[in-house]
Amino acid sequence: MDIFDKFSALKTRTDLVEKLGVDPFGVKFDTILNATRGLIGNQEIILAGTNNYLGLTFDPDCIEASVNALKKHGTGTTGSRIANGSYEEHVDLENALAKHTGMESAVIFSTGYQTNLAAIATLAGPKDVLFIDADSHACIIDGCRLSAAPTIRFRHNSPSDLEKRLIRQGEIEGGIALVVIEGMYSMFGDKAPIKEFVEVCERHGAYLYIDEAHSFGIFGPTGCGLAEEEGVLDRVDFISGTFSKSLASIGGFCLSRHKAFEVTRKAMRAYMFTASPTPSNVAAARAALDKIAEKPELRKNLKERSEQLHAGLLALGLELCAPPGPIIAVRRPNELIAATEWNWLMENGIYVNLAVPPGTPQSSSLLRISLSAAHTKEDIDLILAGFSQLSQLGDAMTARAQEVLAAQ
Amino acid sequence: MSQPTHDEVYNKICELLVPYNPKGIAISHQSGIMTDLEVDSTAVFDLIMGLEDFYDISIPMEMVSDIKTVGELVNAVMQLTSE
Repeated sequence: MDIFDKFSALKTRTDLVEKLGVDPFGVKFDTILNATRGLIGNQEIILAGTNNYLGLTFDPDCIEASVNALKKHGTGTTGSRIANGSYEEHVDLENALAKHTGMESAVIFSTGYQTNLAAIATLAGPKDVLFIDADSHACIIDGCRLSAAPTIRFRHNSPSDLEKRLIRQGEIEGGIALVVIEGMYSMFGDKAPIKEFVEVCERHGAYLYIDEAHSFGIFGPTGCGLAEEEGVLDRVDFISGTFSKSLASIGGFCLSRHKAFEVTRKAMRAYMFTASPTPSNVAAARAALDKIAEKPELRKNLKERSEQLHAGLLALGLELCAPPGPIIAVRRPNELIAATEWNWLMENGIYVNLAVPPGTPQSSSLLRISLSAAHTKEDIDLILAGFSQLSQLGDAMTARAQEVLAAQ
Repeated sequence: MSQPTHDEVYNKICELLVPYNPKGIAISHQSGIMTDLEVDSTAVFDLIMGLEDFYDISIPMEMVSDIKTVGELVNAVMQLTSE
């Protein structure tokens, strides 16, 4: 028995996809030129799959703040905040996030994944019950697994299904119910009916935790996310998010309207036992937060580009998974065709994401596009031209996929 | 709902499995849900939610992780409906 035998099915699948050209899950860019362009070799690629929603990764102020922090504090923190102390950037960003959102408590983490892992695993104890959306991200599921709480899934984006399950559960002796949803779901780009979820939670005395990783900075009058857009931010117990999307860096945050959340710093293992984010990363996110507050035109441009692309793709007869938004997922008939088309797009200078089961809802195969406020109208025309050509190649794409399959 | 019999639960599971078994693979108590019947992990949870609603029970995620075969799923439902 070989230690890698258990991965043989995965290996077969990977080998098959690699035969189509570039490995979609191992793309290497040689240079990132700006928020919307990268280079692979000498080929310029339009970036339409980087979750760089506000396009701030090359913002001069974000870069300057990051460089200054790098020069001031060095390249790494070399330890955790509990054991080795905090830097002024950590505390400053936490204060700024709490102030911007009106929350009582803010804790930052080294990645978005760790944020949900740490917070969910710690907030829910063995006597509590977790209720999570059926399409939850892996970090939420892993957080539930690490908690000692029983976890019950409810149907995707269905407050009535959640309510049914809360009623079915009944009184939780010695514990609480913690409901976890996402503001915008990363694969389809569909939004949760947050106000209805808030009302269900309030009716049943459940705590509500919303991951706004894909919506923070993008929705709401001041960019606080979808809970703010629906006017219920002050009724949500916990909001989490990431620095790696609209905040143009790497890291994550969890905010709470409960001041008592502070105490969990000394209980969250994925906060306590990992190195803190570097001051340079945190300073970039801090500068990006200022941009979110000061530049609503970023959200406006993103919305307009999303509407432009969504309408253009619909006009091509493509099936899209959600209304216009920063994530636009094009549903394809199967994994092999999606991978073949993904390769064709790459060959023609358009980078999107390939998303295939089991990581996708309804076992869908998707060409997933994420837009940026930095995309221009002409950039969207370029992406549309690519999809238009691709649509005309329908049979050729199927034949190419079948050829690879036959060679197995 | 009164306590269902083992056969009733088994038949219900077979019925709920139909949409996830387009190849019509023969089902038995020993069938691996994800291995033999090729039901993917997303679809398993849809199946579970269908069972939860039919029998008015909650099957927590950590219990689902331990269920590999149709027979084990029958046993889990029997256990939860008897509580």
